Amino acid sequence: MKMEDMPLSGPDNTKLESLVHDIYSELVEDACLGLCFEVHRAVKQGYFFLDETDQESMKEFEIVDQPGVDIFGQVYNQWKNKECECPNCKRLIAASRFAPHLEKCLGMGRNSSRIANRRLASNNNMSKSESDQEDNDDLNDNDWSYGAEKKAKKRKSDKNQNSPRRSKSMKHKNGELGTIVTSEPYKYNFNTGISYETLGPDEVRSLLTTQCGVISEHTKKMCTRSQRCPQHTDEQRRAVRVFLLGPSAPTLPDADPVVENDGFDIPDGQTLMSRLQWEDSSDISPTDSASSKASTNPSDSRRPKKKKRPSLGLNSGGGGGGGGGSSSLTGGSSSSQSNISLSTKKKRPKLSAPSIPSIYDDLN
Amino acid sequence: MKAAVNQKLTEMGERDRLKELLRAKLTECGWKDQMKAHCKEVIKQKGLEHVTVEDLVVEITPKGRALVPDSVKKELLHRIRAFLAQHTNNLEY
Repeated sequence: MKMEDMPLSGPDNTKLESLVHDIYSELVEDACLGLCFEVHRAVKQGYFFLDETDQESMKEFEIVDQPGVDIFGQVYNQWKNKECECPNCKRLIAASRFAPHLEKCLGMGRNSSRIANRRLASNNNMSKSESDQEDNDDLNDNDWSYGAEKKAKKRKSDKNQNSPRRSKSMKHKNGELGTIVTSEPYKYNFNTGISYETLGPDEVRSLLTTQCGVISEHTKKMCTRSQRCPQHTDEQRRAVRVFLLGPSAPTLPDADPVVENDGFDIPDGQTLMSRLQWEDSSDISPTDSASSKASTNPSDSRRPKKKKRPSLGLNSGGGGGGGGGSSSLTGGSSSSQSNISLSTKKKRPKLSAPSIPSIYDDLN
Repeated sequence: MKAAVNQKLTEMGERDRLKELLRAKLTECGWKDQMKAHCKEVIKQKGLEHVTVEDLVVEITPKGRALVPDSVKKELLHRIRAFLAQHTNNLEY
């Protein structure tokens, strides 16, 4: 468009330019005038100087730049070193810890009841087995969701790690279960803890999906911690599941894919026997016993359904893994103790002979 | 011709558009705040009660004209020229 200006002659062009400038000046003056009116009105209406404060107030809120003090002039840890006497226990508590201490000391407030309940529940857990799921007062607590229950359990168990109470039961749970397994593999009637014997298979299954479930040698109870409880290995958990629910036990959330469901759905004892024989051939190496942290099935109560247990006898790796299945079975009974230790590892392989070597790879 | 151009400018609404554009640009670049500060000084000088529009206009306008930044000025001139070129080539000179 501008190109069309080009052919204009000189004077016309300057005329045009001056025109343009005139228009521009008009516009600018318009703007200035507008501003003047605005300001004048503000002055006359009295709101022109509103955004300014007088000098005194300005001094009050001046930015402070001294060490040890924030820009408002406040001291940061003014109350840090002060101590208050608790009216309840008469102790001197630091000021910043005073409120939480009072909460616990007086037994009021949300946290204190939660902590007390947790402590009670964990105490019950030591003595009883997995009844804590119902005992958990957390269920009654409106603030807790179901998912938080697991967290609570985990935290509960974490909390107890440093307490003196932890010493006994926890340590023993991780101990060897060698003493437990005595009978022959196919006998299914090991000493059973009262705990899981009283539960039906569905209950067991549901419990095992949320809890660690590893059976303690001492108490014959299932571990009620979360699936990731640090005291038991995944191997143990798997072994327990196989033991309690049969070879087709559902996989643990973090279980190896290798193990678990190899498609074995054999509820029969006979098939179990055959599997036992296979197992025997796999010939567990002595390394198993060395590395085993067996804490599973100290007692195989649920003999009828759960085949897995018999493998205990089978896992006579320590016994030298006899040639025939039968021999291994007998051998198993004698070397039950070592079997137990191996059993945890063995549990997995039982699923099928071919899978066993791979399992050992995992173990080793 | 000037009258005709002005008329055209107004008719087509271009004048208002240019005004708005200028105001926005001046505010954006801080010209307005500068001018307001200058106003404050003038008012303090003259006394709050006795300020008149004329006073302000006399004080403000020349300064205002001078303080317009170059970029704003150039852009506005450009737009005006463009408008003229677009709409006045059919007019007689």
